[in-house]
Amino acid sequence: MSITSFAFLCCYAVLLLLYYVVPKKMQWGLLLIASIGYFLTAGELWLILYPIAAIIIVYCGALYIDRVKEQKKRKTALSLIVVFCLLVLAVLKYCNFGVYTYNALASKLHFTSNYLKEFSFLVPLGISFYTLALLGYVYDVYYEISKPQRNFLKFALFGLYFPVIISGPIVRYRDVENQLYEKHTFDYKQVTFGLQRILWGFFKKLVIAERMAVVVNTVYGEYAVYPGVYIVLATICFAFQLYADFSGGIDIVIGISETFGIKVTENFNTPFFSRSMQEFWRRWHITLGGWLKDYLFYPLLRTRMIAALQEMAKNKFGKKAGKRIATYTAMFVLWFAVGMWHGGSWKFIVGSGLLHWCYIVLGELLEPVWDKLRTSLKVKKENKLFCFFQQTRTFLLVCSGFLFFRSNSLTSACEMYKSVFTTWNPEVLWNGSVLALGLDAVELTIAIVSLLILLVVSVLQQKKSVRERLANKNIVVRWIALYALLFYVILFGYYGPGYSATEFIYQGF
Amino acid sequence: MTREALYERLNAVFQDVFDDEDITVNDATTSADIEDWDSLEHINLVSAVEKEFGVKFTMGQVVTMKNVGEMVDIILAAIG
Repeated sequence: MSITSFAFLCCYAVLLLLYYVVPKKMQWGLLLIASIGYFLTAGELWLILYPIAAIIIVYCGALYIDRVKEQKKRKTALSLIVVFCLLVLAVLKYCNFGVYTYNALASKLHFTSNYLKEFSFLVPLGISFYTLALLGYVYDVYYEISKPQRNFLKFALFGLYFPVIISGPIVRYRDVENQLYEKHTFDYKQVTFGLQRILWGFFKKLVIAERMAVVVNTVYGEYAVYPGVYIVLATICFAFQLYADFSGGIDIVIGISETFGIKVTENFNTPFFSRSMQEFWRRWHITLGGWLKDYLFYPLLRTRMIAALQEMAKNKFGKKAGKRIATYTAMFVLWFAVGMWHGGSWKFIVGSGLLHWCYIVLGELLEPVWDKLRTSLKVKKENKLFCFFQQTRTFLLVCSGFLFFRSNSLTSACEMYKSVFTTWNPEVLWNGSVLALGLDAVELTIAIVSLLILLVVSVLQQKKSVRERLANKNIVVRWIALYALLFYVILFGYYGPGYSATEFIYQGF
Repeated sequence: MTREALYERLNAVFQDVFDDEDITVNDATTSADIEDWDSLEHINLVSAVEKEFGVKFTMGQVVTMKNVGEMVDIILAAIG
C-alpha cells in the first residue's frame, strides 16, 4: 500500500483518530499494530519474518552487550550481530551485483563461457533503512550512548515504525526512544503542522516529481534519439524529480509522524543551495550521512591501519599531506559505501559514491588555487554573485552524478556522456523540440510554476519556518493558502497515462 | 591539573591542528565557532588531544561530545 494511495490515507485517518481516542498508554501499542499491518500489506506476508528476525537478534544482542562487562565478549557479540544483519542485506540486495560483475568480467576477459545465473529474491520493504536503524541502535548500546530497551514489543515498534520504514529517514534510537513510548495529548498546532507537511509532500511528489519524470523517462528511455542537450536537460529535470520525490516522501513521513507527536530527524535542508559538495552532503540525505559518519567513517579513522598510514605518510610527505592521505583513504571507503547503499550496481558506486569522492578530494586540493584566483579577481567570498556561481557549480556537479544514478547501467551512462560531449544541439531549447518530450505547453508551464513555488518556499524556509509564518497570519490568509495548495495538488497532481502513484524512487532501497 | 592549566595545553593543540595561532577555546566553544572544524578534522583533533593528554576517548564520547567543555570534563575525569 503506497503512502500516496487513497486506501492508505483512509487507514491513516482512522489510525490518527484512534490514536487520540484510546487510553494514552496504548498509543505506542496501536502504532506497533499499525506498523505490522502496514508491513503485511506491502507485499508477501512472510517477508515480515526478515525484520522480525533482525529485531529479535538485535534486541537480544543489545541486552547481552549491556550485561557483560568483558570487552572481548561485547565485541564478539557486536561483530556477530553486524555480520548477521549485513549478510542478510548482502544476500538479498547485492548477490546479483556479484553475478553481474563476474559475468561482465568473464565476457570482457574471455576466461570462461559459463556465466552465472541471476538470483531472484523477494526483498522486504525498507530493508536498508531498518537494517541501518537497528545497527545504529546496537552500536549505541555498545558505545554506551544508549541503554537497551528491555520491552521487546517497544523495541519492535522502533524497528518497524511504519512511517520511516518506507524510505527513511534513518532514525536513531536515542532520538526517538522517549517520543515513541510516551503519552501524547492531542495538540492542535502539532497535528495541523503535520498535516500541512503531508500536503507539501504531496505537492512535491505528485505535481513536480511525476511531471519531471515524464521528460526524464522519454529522454533516458531513448537517449540515442535524444542526444546532447536533451540529455543535459533531462538530467537537470531528474535532479528536480529525485529531490521532489525523495524529499516529498520524507515530508509525508515526517508529517505523519508529527501528527502522532513523534518528531523524527530531518533528512533534507535545501540541498541545491549548497556551495560545495561537502555542504551538499550535509544537506542531502542527512541521516544517511550522519549514520555513516558515526558508525563507519569515525571508527575507520580510528583504526590502527589508518593511524599507521597517517604516520607513514606524515614521515614521508609532511604533516599536512600525511593527514590528507589517511583521511582521503578512509573517505574512499566511505564513498564506496554510500554508492553501495544506493544499490548493487557500478552505476551507483560510481555516480553516487566515487565520483563525489573525487569532487570532494579535488575541491580540497584545489582550494588554494581557487582562493588565489578569487582574490586576484577581487571577488569577496560572500559576494552574492559568487555564491550563486558556487551554488550553480555544485548543482551541475551533483547532476553529473545523477546521470549515472538514472541511467540503466554504467555503459549507458558512458554512452550518454559521449553524446553530451559530441552533440551540439542547443537549438532544441528554443525550436519547440522540448514540447515533444511528453509535456505540452500547459504541462510545462505548470511544471515551471511549481518549481518556482518550491524555490520561493525553500528560500523563505531558510530564514524562518514557513509553517510558523503561516500560523502567524490571520485565519483567512491561512485557510486561503492551505486550500489553494490543496486544490493545486488535486488539480495539477500529475496522473498521466497509466500512472499509479505507488512508488517512490528511494522506496526500493 | 587545574582546568586553566588544561586549557593552556588544549589551546596549543587546537592551534596546531587547525593551523591557526589565534584560536583560544573555552567551555562553550563548538565546531560552529571554528571554521575548519568539520567531521574530518574532528577525528584529527580527537587523536591530537588523546596524544597530548595520554587519554583515550570512547567512540561514544567522540560522537556525542557537544562542546569543548565536555571534552575537558572527560580529560579531567581520566587524568584525575
